[in-house]
Amino acid sequence: MMNLDEYAREALIDAVGKKNVSFDEAILEVYAYNWGMEVVNSMHGKEPIPFSTPPVAVVLPSTTKEVSKVLRTCKKHDLTFKAQSTGLGPWNNPSRDNCIIIDLRQMNHILKIDERNLFAVIEPYVSGAQLQSELMKHGLNCHMPGAGPQVSLLASSTSMSGPGFTSPSTGYSGRNVLGVEWVLPEGEVLKLGSLGLSNEPDWFCGDGPGPSLRGVMRGLHGAMSGNGVFTRVAIKVFPYPCSTEWEITGDLPDYQFKKPDHIEFYMFDCSKYKKGERVMRAIEEAEISFMCSMLSGFGAAAFFSNSLEGVIDKVTIARMRVPILVAITGRTSRQFQYRQEVMEHLISKFKLENVIGSKFTPPSISYAEAIRNNFGMHGFISTGGVRSAHGSMESIGMCMNVTKANIPLKKKYIKREQIANDFGEAVWSTSIERGHMYNIEAMALYDQCDKHSITGVAGYCIDSNEMDLHNHLGIPLFVEGDELHDHFGPECSNYHEWLRKIKQILDPTCIADPGNYISPGKKKKEGET
Amino acid sequence: MLKSEYENMINRCVRCSICKWIPQVQIKNQEHASICPSIDFYNFHSHSGGGRIILALALEMGRVEMNEKVRDIVFQCTACGGCSIACQYLNTLDPTEVIMDLRRKLVQEGVGPMPKHQAFMDNVIQSGNPYGEPRKARAEWLEEGIEIDDSAETLYFVGCTSSYRRKEIARATAKVLNKAGLAFKILGSDETCCGSPLFRTGEDDQFEKIVERNVAMIEKAGIETVVCSCAGCFDMFRVEYPERASFSFNVISTAELFNRLIDEGRLKTGAGKDITVTYHDPCHLGRQAEVHEHWEGDVIEVMPIMKLNIPEKPKRCGAGGVYDAPRNVLEKLNNITLVEMDRIREYSYCCGAGGGAKAAFPEFALHTGKTRISEAESTGATCVISACPFCSTNLKDSIKESESSMDFKDLGELVLESLGRDEKNFDGMKEDMEGKHDES
Repeated sequence: MMNLDEYAREALIDAVGKKNVSFDEAILEVYAYNWGMEVVNSMHGKEPIPFSTPPVAVVLPSTTKEVSKVLRTCKKHDLTFKAQSTGLGPWNNPSRDNCIIIDLRQMNHILKIDERNLFAVIEPYVSGAQLQSELMKHGLNCHMPGAGPQVSLLASSTSMSGPGFTSPSTGYSGRNVLGVEWVLPEGEVLKLGSLGLSNEPDWFCGDGPGPSLRGVMRGLHGAMSGNGVFTRVAIKVFPYPCSTEWEITGDLPDYQFKKPDHIEFYMFDCSKYKKGERVMRAIEEAEISFMCSMLSGFGAAAFFSNSLEGVIDKVTIARMRVPILVAITGRTSRQFQYRQEVMEHLISKFKLENVIGSKFTPPSISYAEAIRNNFGMHGFISTGGVRSAHGSMESIGMCMNVTKANIPLKKKYIKREQIANDFGEAVWSTSIERGHMYNIEAMALYDQCDKHSITGVAGYCIDSNEMDLHNHLGIPLFVEGDELHDHFGPECSNYHEWLRKIKQILDPTCIADPGNYISPGKKKKEGET
Repeated sequence: MLKSEYENMINRCVRCSICKWIPQVQIKNQEHASICPSIDFYNFHSHSGGGRIILALALEMGRVEMNEKVRDIVFQCTACGGCSIACQYLNTLDPTEVIMDLRRKLVQEGVGPMPKHQAFMDNVIQSGNPYGEPRKARAEWLEEGIEIDDSAETLYFVGCTSSYRRKEIARATAKVLNKAGLAFKILGSDETCCGSPLFRTGEDDQFEKIVERNVAMIEKAGIETVVCSCAGCFDMFRVEYPERASFSFNVISTAELFNRLIDEGRLKTGAGKDITVTYHDPCHLGRQAEVHEHWEGDVIEVMPIMKLNIPEKPKRCGAGGVYDAPRNVLEKLNNITLVEMDRIREYSYCCGAGGGAKAAFPEFALHTGKTRISEAESTGATCVISACPFCSTNLKDSIKESESSMDFKDLGELVLESLGRDEKNFDGMKEDMEGKHDES
């Protein structure tokens, strides 16, 4: 770890105040840890431990001005930075030994809820559950990423992926971005969309003035702090899907949720992927679902369990081959009834059997978890570790191709006893915006304490990336950093050259840690000067 | 916690930050979404339940040395158990247990506890209480009119804080028991600290000696039931003592006992003023008061990587705490209207005093207490009720510091008020009801 000189330390203290900066080894090491870091390390041929290189400092700014000051300090003192909000995942960790962490925890305000124009303005540390609970008072709802209601909505919107379980009705984070306040790597504050207007700036639009920079800001998956720090964002909000009653009784772990009016689950086994594709397409064309996900039997059982024992108990669900889980909701009785009738029609048309209420009754708290987008964390209950090996937003046909292609590949690692045996089938696929697009993630369950397992899941991720490249299955979720972009780019219209140009313009001296994005200059090969 | 369990746990944090919040489905608004006083005050991730698990791993891997900074991080926590509840909603980690283990390790290594803690540890060992007060003054809270029955089989274990600092709680408890006609005795100057301050700050060896001493003394006195008006003492007697000693007496909190006495018609309530109150669940009467359920079984590898516990391992997520009894008492006091805060029961927000925070980090404790008082104010209640002298101290300090108009009362004081006056206890009650509490 690099030692920070006295002047840099003083400058950081000056930027955020003494109590909001730490150079202490114990604190820095905590910021070097993350879930999935062990897999990333393994993928890069390093020891498969969950620690990255530690940051040289951690700062906790409270304002945009302070963020800007920190970035200017980085430039002056030859430091890089990695900004994080709620901080889940290895893309929050430094990749350089001169990196500071900007922890945006103290920027946690909901600045505005515009009921009439359906948007909310938030700072980085506002979680999904926090915003949703405030929006509910207005009869509104927000989109949350699949990672769960505990994560930052701003980070998902501006910087990192963003499909979620309610994507059929709430889109995905990158599509919901309106006005943005963006501190560029060298400290300049840029305002995107209608926020940049010189007269009556407001948050309602993400495009303009002049050419839209939304694509430059995050592209499809986001720059993961590789192009600056986002300090405020306006996001689209949506009508709350059903009645806003929210009553939970009982004590952990047996919470009972009083199911609000106008929400119901449907789940059926489509048996084959082709049929699953047709059914999902039909449900989405009908524009009736709040949530519509294709899972594996094992995954579906996990959604309704809070322990592995609970998963094993749910044989009815776990043995399903291609289960589709749908939540139908309605703002009014009439809307709910209409949607249910359409759903029944589709069940009949495709000769499906709805297991909900007949063979399986979901725990009442599952309805709360569906609304609150809390299913993602259920992925960890079986083995402790879960990783999306492939993830991309594509057409449903492509998603099915990815699903099928991953089965034999994953089985190779299952056979080596490195990944838990889900028959190779564990995927999560959801429609986005009523079938406008779909998301697919091939999940691999692994044990993060077992080196054999970690190296296996890392190998699976590498192979999966290669398979996507050579079998034309789209660009996966975790193509990050120079090495992978330079590998994928030449096969994909040389997109990496454009990405690098963006980085060159925004951050020519590479102040923003490029580890999960791209460097402004092509990485030099060993021995190259 | 077994070494193997500890090692397993410190390797399994997924850094999801769930430990910083109340269970996600319980979040009702932005302001009252947090469950962790430590991260709320110190803000660095190291100061969350998960952060401390990572720190434990970094120590185990030799990435960090055990030093004073590590000690500070580990002790800048009220050990309220909130992070564990949040994590156990879906996961299986218990950050509070890891924190307690770290504290014990720090003490063993001579790095911990905090200097302030060392002083009260020494006091407990020398004087039987953390305040360094003389043993002979322990029963000075007793006042004329309170009847003690030395032949009783019920022991009122007063505790250090009620004996020396929150005497009004001890008096109210004794008077209520008198009114119910429940004969009880006290240990007086023979009573020694329950050991909670030692246990919470990692001084396990001394704690075990105290357990041994107290259990022997109570057993020898032929006690059937120990009554605790202090949540900290109650937690020790109900949860931690059975881990270290076997004994035949029962342990009951005043909240549970008052509830029972009202149900049995032994307390005639309804005499107090009409007030709207809110109830603060003390961590040690609530989630921390759930007994350890020891698991015995087999770990079966149902398939490679996937291990199943047979039978299923119970989760300690606070459901076994005392939540209904105090609420039932409030409901049965006819003149009381209870309005709940957003964070209650197993996901209650800590008062800020526990885990040695009040002694070593008073600013942190006060910040937490003020946060809780602000939440209490938001209910529209005019009075906070709780059932712990330590919560009482910090919440009263917080009320004063935040210039709040809220009142604070222990459950015992409120019950006493609702019983009305009688000649025998009139003077003492008058003093209690006018709020002339002993702040010494």
